[in-house]
Amino acid sequence: MSIIEINGITKDYGNRKGIFNLLFAVEKGEVFGYLGPNGAGKTTTIRHLLGFLTPDTGSAKILGMDCRKDSAEIMKHLGYLPAEIAFFDGMKGMDFLKFMGEMRGLANTSYRDALIEKFQLDTKGTIRKMSKGMKQKLGIICAFMHDPQVLILDEPTSGLDPLMQNIFAGLILEEKAKGKTILMSSHSFEEIEKTCDRIGIIRAGELVTTEDIHVLKTKRRKSYLITFDSPATASAFAKTDSFDNITLDGASAKVDVLGSVTRLMEALSGFTVIDFDTQKNSLEEVFMQYYGSTITEENATKQGGVR
Amino acid sequence: MFSKPLFKATLKQNYVVFIIILAVLMLYLPIIIQMFDPSTQDTLDEMLKVLPQGLISAMGFSNVGSTLLGFVASYFYGFLILLLPMIYVIIVANRSIASHVDKGSMAYLLSTPNTRGKIARTQAGFLLISITLLLGIVTIVGILVSENLFPNELDIKGFLLLNLNTLLLYFALTGIGFFASCLFNDTKNSLALGAGLPVAFLVVQMLSNTGESVEFLKYFTLFTLLDSDKIINGEGYGINFVILIILAIILYASGLYVFKNRDLPL
Repeated sequence: MSIIEINGITKDYGNRKGIFNLLFAVEKGEVFGYLGPNGAGKTTTIRHLLGFLTPDTGSAKILGMDCRKDSAEIMKHLGYLPAEIAFFDGMKGMDFLKFMGEMRGLANTSYRDALIEKFQLDTKGTIRKMSKGMKQKLGIICAFMHDPQVLILDEPTSGLDPLMQNIFAGLILEEKAKGKTILMSSHSFEEIEKTCDRIGIIRAGELVTTEDIHVLKTKRRKSYLITFDSPATASAFAKTDSFDNITLDGASAKVDVLGSVTRLMEALSGFTVIDFDTQKNSLEEVFMQYYGSTITEENATKQGGVR
Repeated sequence: MFSKPLFKATLKQNYVVFIIILAVLMLYLPIIIQMFDPSTQDTLDEMLKVLPQGLISAMGFSNVGSTLLGFVASYFYGFLILLLPMIYVIIVANRSIASHVDKGSMAYLLSTPNTRGKIARTQAGFLLISITLLLGIVTIVGILVSENLFPNELDIKGFLLLNLNTLLLYFALTGIGFFASCLFNDTKNSLALGAGLPVAFLVVQMLSNTGESVEFLKYFTLFTLLDSDKIINGEGYGINFVILIILAIILYASGLYVFKNRDLPL
């Protein structure tokens, strides 16, 4: 049974902004990564799921209930982390968690306290004076503390340091093991690839694809930055011709490899390598890899026009 | 129907403003009642003569009656009671919905198993209850101070009616603030309507008092419906009460309806 269903939602804000005929579903026990650049319509989709917006056409359902009409009923089983954190003025961290617990009629606070421990959050401080990362932790605890069946997380790791990002990834995997259904949005592939089963990519309000993460990983081209002992060695390596995508820059070369890196390792064995580094791909690059350059170029001109 | 934790949180958020406004009212009310002392009446008249006639009229001080009720009605209910609780109402009404939507904290409120209706009803309830409490305290203190300083001088029935009229006026005014708060996404716009309109009413009220040539302005301000003359004369005030109640019901109901059905930018 699909836990989250989006049935052809269109919300047109004019000027090509909004979301258009969006159609996807998230199954029970699945972690769904919702990926797209800023302004693509991720948050608009999530606002429909939370019942904040009424779609022009189509409908969204969570646990078989209509997101707009039955939102209060859905909220009994849902944890939500908004993209931006805002609270009552002057509330302390603990006051806020207690308040949200009361609003939900939550009696058992043991999981909340365990989460505070896990994220090492100091809940005594006033929220207004907290750093972005601390606010984010507070928001995460608030979304998970009532042990909901469904979680909707809007850019959950923004503001978290790498250590906390790992703790968060661990939490997602734990919740997944408990059979929770999770939808989380992000603008970075790296951020969600560790935890997600399936990824949906949205661009300019339209769903480009939904794809199993393993399929994506095998299709994915990775870039390696190799530094040789001299520019001569670098150009000698480039001349071996075993890779079609080599960019030279002095003594270093950037090589794009699809799938397994065994062949690159073998080719390198005859050369003196000073440094070997992986380059992180931006979302645009990921797009380019999966859909060819046409999409990205079209996207770039479109964005250029807007700017 | 209502959310108790939200009511508590709203109370915590607003009690300081409530206390400040109440304190200022409590400072002025006894002073004004005390000034009724007939022996100081002449001095007061002398003092008022120094001020320009237009200013005195604008503040609603011109038709001072010979009774304690008439005196309090013009010196306290002519201006101060319009200004001070209005400040409270403007602040609290804006905070009730619009500021939560603007800041984004509404997203948290609505991510709990509470409907939009329940949240808006709780906030509306807080507005109505707190303004009733504020004016209730004014009424009780007014009676106590009057009875203490001038036993049996105050027309208590008239004073109660005057305060009821004020309360109903405030139900309508909070209605404007609440409606504006429900309608807009930004605090800026909510205040433009929710504060702008009551302040404009007050300015028009003051203008319309200044002379017969501009008296027609009274049809453009809600404050005309707080008519102490009619209460002192003991007749003709009923229609004002009815209009204010109907206005309040329409404004609150529209606010709730708009908030339940509109798109929220959270």
